[in-house]
Amino acid sequence: MSRLTRARRALIAVPDAYAGEQTDALFLTAMRENCRYQYEHCPGYRRMLDGMGFSPEALTDPDALARLPFLPTLLLKRHRLFSVPRRKMLIKATSSGTSGTASEVGFTLGDLLAMLNMVLRVSKLRHLFSVRPCHYVVLGYQPHRGNTMGAAKTAFGATMFTPALSRTYALVWRDGGYQLDLDGVIRAVERHSRSRFPLRFMGFPSYTWFLMQKMAEEGRCVQLPKGSKLMLGGGWKQFYAEQVDKAQFYALAKQVFGLADTDVVEFYGAVEHPILYCDCERHHFHVPIYSRVIIRDPTTLQPLERGKAGLVNLTTPLIQAVPLLSVMTDDLGVLHDGADCGCGLKTPYLEILGRVGLHEIKTCAAGAAEQLAEVRL
Amino acid sequence: MILANGRIYETSAQAEILAGLEDAISRTLSEKTLSRETVIDAIDRLGRRVADGEFDEDIAALPIDNAMSYKAQAVQMLSRAYLEFKLRTELGSDFIDDYTTQPPFGMQPLRVKAMPLGVLLHISAGNVDGLPAFSVAEGLLTGNINLLKLPQADNGLTLKILTELIKMAPEIAPFLYVFDTPSSDLSALTALAARSDGVVVWGGDAAVTAARRLAAPGTRLIEWGHKLSFAYLSGYTEDELRQLAEHIVTTRQLLCSSCQTIFLDTEDMQQISAFCDVFLPILEATAERHLPQSVDAAAERTLLQYTRRLEGYLEGGTAAPYQSAFCSLRPAEDRELQLSDQICGCPVKRLPRGQLIAALRKHKNYLQTAGLICREEERAELTALLARSGVVRITRAGDMSASFAGEAHDGDYPLRRYMRIVNAQT
Repeated sequence: MSRLTRARRALIAVPDAYAGEQTDALFLTAMRENCRYQYEHCPGYRRMLDGMGFSPEALTDPDALARLPFLPTLLLKRHRLFSVPRRKMLIKATSSGTSGTASEVGFTLGDLLAMLNMVLRVSKLRHLFSVRPCHYVVLGYQPHRGNTMGAAKTAFGATMFTPALSRTYALVWRDGGYQLDLDGVIRAVERHSRSRFPLRFMGFPSYTWFLMQKMAEEGRCVQLPKGSKLMLGGGWKQFYAEQVDKAQFYALAKQVFGLADTDVVEFYGAVEHPILYCDCERHHFHVPIYSRVIIRDPTTLQPLERGKAGLVNLTTPLIQAVPLLSVMTDDLGVLHDGADCGCGLKTPYLEILGRVGLHEIKTCAAGAAEQLAEVRL
Repeated sequence: MILANGRIYETSAQAEILAGLEDAISRTLSEKTLSRETVIDAIDRLGRRVADGEFDEDIAALPIDNAMSYKAQAVQMLSRAYLEFKLRTELGSDFIDDYTTQPPFGMQPLRVKAMPLGVLLHISAGNVDGLPAFSVAEGLLTGNINLLKLPQADNGLTLKILTELIKMAPEIAPFLYVFDTPSSDLSALTALAARSDGVVVWGGDAAVTAARRLAAPGTRLIEWGHKLSFAYLSGYTEDELRQLAEHIVTTRQLLCSSCQTIFLDTEDMQQISAFCDVFLPILEATAERHLPQSVDAAAERTLLQYTRRLEGYLEGGTAAPYQSAFCSLRPAEDRELQLSDQICGCPVKRLPRGQLIAALRKHKNYLQTAGLICREEERAELTALLARSGVVRITRAGDMSASFAGEAHDGDYPLRRYMRIVNAQT
């Protein structure tokens, strides 16, 4: 455990979250140590690695990273894998589980400290931390004891970047369920637009888009105080179908809130890969030093070269409680050379193209089986 | 958007339309009837427009492979010949023509007339494109006033089809209302159910249970719930296995009629292994011939297969014994009808015929199709046995998801359920 902590600590001690290649060796060491830890403490992970013929010690050359067996999110949804006793996990989080099943992960104190460090360093990119108090509008879930969704926790966490004067939620817990209260949100926005303190939004892009459209249609555009920001996270999910162009999104933010596109900040992450990706001013997700991204061919699963589209495989040595070393998302994406962005950051950046949404389709047979499972109880 | 009396309204007009709905319904019922011929003619003409390619763009935009074969099927189902056959099969002459009974012992004769149930509320599922319009069409063919609650995932196709139908036969307009009320708006749904004589619900148990709560006692409930299907094998030839493989691969095991579990008429686990030895290469070869067309589908298949491989190690410590690049078979010792892994992954289980009914009864509310593979001389006997178990469709294994003209829907003739019999003293 101490060896794991040492390597991880060294990685999170690097001041620049986008230091890039110079951290490659350190990253690999941390991966190897964490892999060894997971192998020894999570019997299920060990069986899978043994079955696939992979030893943690093989993580000595950078190419081995791609050979490390990855865990698809589907597997994490179907099976609970933990490497520390549950009592040591301070926080548990679940994915939003639109398909009815959700991944559940947990984090130790060490994991949380590592993540806090990461957030501090990554968010420097867009100067998100400030001592100046702000009002917050969360276009997502109001925290509630029964809600373990990672998205709710992240959204609440995002209101901690500055002292919060107020928090208004779009999904309000009322009478034992969540209700959408867009009118309440609009009234809060109008109120805060007259405040001398900035207003920050945090929430799903889809909700933000609908809110802006509604305000535009109703002729209720406002000029938000200087320093206000629109923070987006939680993925575009069902929104891909609508393919709202990002440029369209920024134009509407300008029209409705008077925000420049540099005031719009987007995050990317997943419960199964709790690394914070924050977009640069040109709205690209550069990969921070806490992770490496591998794009894989959708049929052969072989790693693809830069610029080719495929399945997004995310790796990180940061988490101890759950074997999340290498996770295959349901996202399709491309990894571009950092230099192509032009913002000055050198690490490659990840472009998300969409989601392999098919296992989320509720088929009639699957629906019946879910009910059968309940019947058996 | 709301469609009422042939006009489109904003969702915000819902309360107003609901308030006037009972009056509007009463007016329609007292002043108008919808002739079957009008509906058949309108649907038939719509079908010919589909055939002529007028809607090709909409069809191509559907998120399905082989959209054009879907079109060919739709054209047939919209045709007058098909509709008339369906009406004749489902309703029979006693529902189509009025008649007078001729009871024995000089008892009084009665006039018998099948009438529309009255008002049908359709709560439709979003997992099949065109399904809400299909459900409404059945309601129109039986002369009912139809209130449709659109599924949330509806992509606009339903409203388009239904407004086209009204354009071709304006007489339909007072018999058709479409609401985009979300499922969470219970007060609106309760109001709609209160106006209805029958509630037609498509979907899983959650949707059906919700509909049961909505409907007042006495309101007829017509439930089209989710179902499970399986293959039953008692002796097989390679050719029959190829047909089963074709069915499994092409339906991707996603339909109610798709094979989820393969049962063998045996107690012997060795026979299960022997079957897997023969069937896996056949399934794999079939999968190779049907490579997914989109990146999405390819990625999904690869990931599912990779996940199954890891799960084999995770659960048993060894590789799943029957696994190829795209397919897997999982021998299991129990006798439960079980959902497959989908996309070319299937459990294989023992189920000797003597225990068939006891095993299937456990799943009685969900049984749909049995794909039967057996020696010809045993087909009649096994068909009868399967029929007694509660299964409602028995087909050859390759035809499990084929559609047959005039077939019942989950053991029922829908059109009959949308009507009522009126007796009148002569």
